[in-house]
Amino acid sequence: MHMTSKLTKALEFSNYRTTLNVQHNNLKAKAQSLLTYSTNGGTFNIDTALITFIEMLIKRKESSVILLDVYNNPIEIVNLDEFLEEILSRYFEATNEYYAEYSKLKKSRKVHKLIDLELDDTDQ
Amino acid sequence: MTQTSKGILIFAHNNEEIDYFKLATINSWYIKKNLDIHDITVVTNQHSYDYNIKNLGKQFVHDAISNIIILEKNKTFKNINRRLYKDTSHSQKVLPFYNIDRCDAYDLSPYDETILIDADYLILSDSLNQCWGHDNELMMNWSYQDIMTEREDPTLKRLSAFGITMYWATVVYFKKCNFSQQFFNTVKHVRDNNDYYQTLYGWPGSLYRNDYSFSVAAHMMSGFIDKGIPQLPIPSLYKTFDTDDIYSSPALNQIIFYLEKPKSLGDFMLSKWRDMDIHVMNKWAINRISEELITYVSETNTTT
Repeated sequence: MHMTSKLTKALEFSNYRTTLNVQHNNLKAKAQSLLTYSTNGGTFNIDTALITFIEMLIKRKESSVILLDVYNNPIEIVNLDEFLEEILSRYFEATNEYYAEYSKLKKSRKVHKLIDLELDDTDQ
Repeated sequence: MTQTSKGILIFAHNNEEIDYFKLATINSWYIKKNLDIHDITVVTNQHSYDYNIKNLGKQFVHDAISNIIILEKNKTFKNINRRLYKDTSHSQKVLPFYNIDRCDAYDLSPYDETILIDADYLILSDSLNQCWGHDNELMMNWSYQDIMTEREDPTLKRLSAFGITMYWATVVYFKKCNFSQQFFNTVKHVRDNNDYYQTLYGWPGSLYRNDYSFSVAAHMMSGFIDKGIPQLPIPSLYKTFDTDDIYSSPALNQIIFYLEKPKSLGDFMLSKWRDMDIHVMNKWAINRISEELITYVSETNTTT
C-alpha cells in the first residue's frame, strides 16, 4: 500500500475515533442528566448506592427519613416506598436508554453512522 | 397552601447582525414544549420587537412569549460595549453587546421563582424543571462542559489567572426573597462601579460582561468564599464555541454540530447533540437553521 494511502486511512480512522469518543461522552452526559432527581427541595444523584441504601432502610421498616442531598442539605423523605419506586424507575429509564444508544454506537463503523446521517455507503 | 408562580426570563436586544429576539422566540417555543412552562417573559427594546413582529408575525411571537417587557436602550452603553462575535474562525465582527439590564432581572421578573436564561441557551430537555421548589434560593453554575471534551479554555474558569472562580450568568435560578434581592442589588453595584471592581478582581479587557459582575456578587454574597453559591441541579452547563457551526437539526431536540478541531483550526468534525440543553455561542449558526428548529415546535407558522 502506498504511504499516502496508508496515511489517509490512518487519518480517517483518527477522525472516526474522535467522533466516537465525543458521541460516547454525549451519551454519558445524557444518562447523568436523567439520573439527577430533585424532590422536596433537594437534589439526588440516582446511583446504586442510593438505591441500595433506601432498600436497606425499607427493610428496617423505616418509612420516613432525612437524607443528605448533593448539596449536603438535609431533605426529608416522607414516603420511602414511593421514593424508591421513583428512583428505580428513573434509573432503569436512564440505563436502558444509555444501553440502547451505546449498542448502536458500538456497531457504527463510519462517521456518518455514528451521528445517524443518511449517506450512501458506496460513496465513502 | 398558595401556589407559587414560576417562569422563564430572557433578555433579547438585537444588534446590527444578531437577531436575539428571534432566538428568544424560538427558544420560548422549545421551553413550552420541553419544560411545559408557559409563563415566559422576554425583556427587549422597541426596535428588536418591531423588527420581529414584521418578520415573524405578531401571532407567532405572542403565542410563544406570554409577557414582553420593552425597555429603552441606553445609547451610550450600546455604543461603548462592543465585542468580537465569531461565525466560525473564518468570519469575525465587532458588534454592540447590549447586556446592561440583565442585573435588573430580579425587579423585572413577575414570578416567585424565575429561571433566567440566555436567548442562545437552547432548551432541548426538561432538565431545568429540577430547579422548581428547591431549597436553594439562588443557583448558577461555575462548572461548564464543552461538548468536545478536550477543548479547554482557562479564561473561562477564573476572572483572572489567580482570581476568583467564574460563574456563568447564562442560567440563573432565583426565588423572590431577601437573599436574591440583595444578590441582584450587588450585581448592579458592581456594574455601576465597574472600573473599581475590575481593578480589584483583575479581569481582562474593557468589555462589560455579566459573567464577571455575577461572579463578583457571588463571591461577595458568599462571605468572600470561592464557589459559595450552589450550582444548578443539572450535571453541567454544556456549550459549544463560536468557532463551531451547525450542520442541521434533523429532528426535535436534535442538532448536528460542526465542532472545530482543537489542533487543526478551521477544520471540523461532526457531532450529534440530543435531548440536552446547550449554549450555542455562534448566533448566526442558530439563525441559519431557525426554520428547521421552528418546524418541530411551533403551533403557528411564521409569515416568512
